[in-house]
Amino acid sequence: MATTETQFMLSVGLIEKDVNGDTLWVWCYPSVGDELREVLLSKCCLTHDGRDFHTFVFGQFCRTWYYITTMEVQEPTALNKVTHFSVVVTAKDFNPEKYAALSRILCRMYVKHGSPVKMMEAYITVLTKGICQSDENGSFLIKDYDVRKAYLAGSVKDVVSQFGMETIILYTALMLKKRIVVHHPRIEALLEFTRVLPAFVWHRKDWSILHPYVHLSDAELEDLKKCPGYIAGFVNPEVSNRTDLFDVFVNLPDSTITVSQSAKEAMAMGKLHKDIGQLIVESAEDVEKSDSQVIKDISVKTKEILANLVALADECEDSKITLEGLKQRHFPPATENFLFHLAAAEQLLRI
Amino acid sequence: MRFADIRSGSRAKEAPAMEEVDKILIHALKQVGTEVPEEINSVKQFSSELIVEAVVRCIRVIDPGLSSTLATSLPPGMSARFRVGMSLAQACQDIGYKGEIGYQTFLYSSEPEIRSLLMFLVEKLPRESAETSDQPTGKSVVLQRTIAAAIKAHLAVPWLPPKCRLPLNCETQRQGVMHSFHVQPLSLTNCTKGSSKKHTKEVKDYQRDVLSPVTAQISSQASVVASILEQHTAEISTAQEWDNEWNNQGLLSRFTPQEYCLRKFTRLHKRIEDQLRSAALPSSHSAFGVSRSTSDLCELLQAFKGSVQPGHILTKGTHFTHTQKFNFTQEVPQVAKTIPTNHQSEGDVQLGQQEELAYLQQQFQQLCSEVDHLAADMKHMSVTNAQVLDELKQRELRNSEKEEKIQVKKKTIDLLPDADNNLLKLQGLVEASAKRVVNLASQWEKHRAPLVDEYRRLKDICSSKDVESSKKLSEIKSLHEKIRVSTEEAKKKEDAYKQLVTELENLPQDVSRSAYTQRILEIVSNIKKQKEEITKILSDTKELQKEINNLTGKLDRTFAVTDELVFKDAKKDETVRKSYKYLAALHENCNQLIQTIEDTGTILREIRDLEEQIETENGNKTVANLERILEDYKAIRQENASLAAKVREG
Repeated sequence: MATTETQFMLSVGLIEKDVNGDTLWVWCYPSVGDELREVLLSKCCLTHDGRDFHTFVFGQFCRTWYYITTMEVQEPTALNKVTHFSVVVTAKDFNPEKYAALSRILCRMYVKHGSPVKMMEAYITVLTKGICQSDENGSFLIKDYDVRKAYLAGSVKDVVSQFGMETIILYTALMLKKRIVVHHPRIEALLEFTRVLPAFVWHRKDWSILHPYVHLSDAELEDLKKCPGYIAGFVNPEVSNRTDLFDVFVNLPDSTITVSQSAKEAMAMGKLHKDIGQLIVESAEDVEKSDSQVIKDISVKTKEILANLVALADECEDSKITLEGLKQRHFPPATENFLFHLAAAEQLLRI
Repeated sequence: MRFADIRSGSRAKEAPAMEEVDKILIHALKQVGTEVPEEINSVKQFSSELIVEAVVRCIRVIDPGLSSTLATSLPPGMSARFRVGMSLAQACQDIGYKGEIGYQTFLYSSEPEIRSLLMFLVEKLPRESAETSDQPTGKSVVLQRTIAAAIKAHLAVPWLPPKCRLPLNCETQRQGVMHSFHVQPLSLTNCTKGSSKKHTKEVKDYQRDVLSPVTAQISSQASVVASILEQHTAEISTAQEWDNEWNNQGLLSRFTPQEYCLRKFTRLHKRIEDQLRSAALPSSHSAFGVSRSTSDLCELLQAFKGSVQPGHILTKGTHFTHTQKFNFTQEVPQVAKTIPTNHQSEGDVQLGQQEELAYLQQQFQQLCSEVDHLAADMKHMSVTNAQVLDELKQRELRNSEKEEKIQVKKKTIDLLPDADNNLLKLQGLVEASAKRVVNLASQWEKHRAPLVDEYRRLKDICSSKDVESSKKLSEIKSLHEKIRVSTEEAKKKEDAYKQLVTELENLPQDVSRSAYTQRILEIVSNIKKQKEEITKILSDTKELQKEINNLTGKLDRTFAVTDELVFKDAKKDETVRKSYKYLAALHENCNQLIQTIEDTGTILREIRDLEEQIETENGNKTVANLERILEDYKAIRQENASLAAKVREG
């Protein structure tokens, strides 16, 4: 519904970099808390001494999604003394395309008029009506941007082609709600890769575990630790030393996946995993299948496993599985271990 | 005429200058080893033998190789003398004398030739003073040199058996005098000027009443010097390092010294933390390439961890390590038990041991199974704990979401009865608030924009001031550098001055260098004055010459004009013809006069030149030389005749 979707938008803010080299948070509506402001300033590429320029980055902090679009100010302009600026839109939902489009419109408005008032008008129109006139002979409609499209926007095939059979490690980690840390020096690659990982567990459709852009700062790590399982993306290579932060570490440039010591026991894999891995790889290698079809295949297999698990649970009293119940089935140890932890993740385990 | 004055003046000054030169030459020759009799004061009085001796000795010093065939005295025979003269001349030319030289310079000498030759040779003598000027100056160097000299002297003293030694040598030849360099920490009061640390009253009292003096703080007398040296050097080096660091980085960072120190401390602290953290991870077989250099730190940290109770380790170990640990503990009591067995009988002992073994093994099995149970329980607990937490979190989130939805729905329900109206009202309200918000935003913008501009402007000013201040800082730095360099130079020069003064006092006083330097300076000033006078005269001459040319030109032109004028009228008038003839004669006579005057001047100049030449020739004592040459020629002829006679006879 359009109305509930507009309720997702929380605030819009403006960060400017001026000719003195200062990066300032100059304006926001309605208001942005201090901690979030600090985090947003650190995410904005303007504070990084002009090393890299990222047009669009997004991430999550304290269950708030932020989308930052940065633009360079070209002459002629109504803005004097400003060299670059970023528009930050915070919202409760995950939809990078929608907010990218919106913030592009807002950016252009700001450059044209030189004052955030016009920008705010557009923002309020979107907030109240869900539609806004853009200067590109069209209008921005919220309902054009379905959340499903955002979920499916990433490419599963690329992930599988990069890691091959090792994709099963990612799948297992996601199923068991483990902590995955991904590293890549370039933020765009990081965002592209991490956003598709929750699609492996399509039955949950939970993108709140995704924290695609995290820095090694205390506030953000505190927030990260509140989630039991997450996918966190880091640009800083030192994160590989922080074994307290992850169970699985993915080094994207080297295409390696490592499981940390403490999680090796829970992530033990057996024949079941081999089968699933084979299925994933075959499905992804099929040229005629699209990404969404691959995701569908994986989710079908997942549903199968979950159905088995639920069946097992139903046989026990109060529909909860116990370890003894599993042991009675005489599964191979790896499969038994996996099912045990999966039951815990799906809240089917008796406490 | 000014020229004559100047010439005679310079010649008058030459004589005493030449005396000085001769004195210097004679002194130098005496130093080389030539025996110059006391009454000889000038080169004019040198005899041929003396000349030869002086030259040979000089050559010997300058170039020992050349002088191997030369003797210091002239042989009696004329031909031999001739030969010696030739070889001497050759040697001098080999050394590099560019003037005309031959056997006649030595046998039939003339004063100016001899003087120039001796000056050349004396200049060529190697300078002894060159060595001392190369050595570094300074008080410490003088001290070191005296120490080196003293040690050399000690080493030169021969070793004597202990009973025969003089008390003077006992100290230095004994073995037991050496001490090793032991250092003990000292407690000194802070005696730097303007000490930044303010001591509390208690500290001051302690320092005054309780703290013992430095010499009493050290247990062994031998370490006093070492400890004081060590403390002092440590203080000096910290002060120097701090100065260095502050002058280079501290000033640039624009903090006060305390702030700078604080920042440095926090920075280092953080670095140590990071290092410890990365090294403390107990993963010796991690795949992340932890550097090997942290392995020492790992061991150190393991040693710390080793003191923790073993129960702690159970949580992280696997089943296998638990059993390993218990294997070890099992062996230990076994070993302990096997020792006190000697006085019991063999069979009893064996039985007892086996019973104990069975009992302990049973216990061990029990414990193992208990541990297994506990481990499994813990695993189960952790997993269920995670599940429960997850569930809790999800429920909380759903709760909050639902609460929000309830709020909205409640409000909607309240408005539902009069739906259409309320909808319109709501829309109107929304639009109105939107407009109001936009209005407020534009008002706020009116306030905000100037503030931001102001901020940017001030920042701009600040950064330009930064640029200025950094320029000033670099200026200050360069000034510091200059000050340092100048103080060093001043110190060096003072040291050199002191050293040279002491050396000067130690030098022998036979030659008064100050007299020489004074004369030299006088001569230099005289020459300067003469040069000025010469330039004046030259300019005067030029002026005169110009005037002469001018007048001659005028004269010619006037005469030509008059001549024409008069000649024109002379054809008609008789008197004019006469006056023309007179004019011509006048012109002719005046020309002759001028010519005569010029000739007189030329002749006077020639006279002067010839007089000078006569004087120089007179100094050559040519007549005496000629007589000697004739005599020698006769002597050579006699020798030749006698030699020829000898040859004919034999």
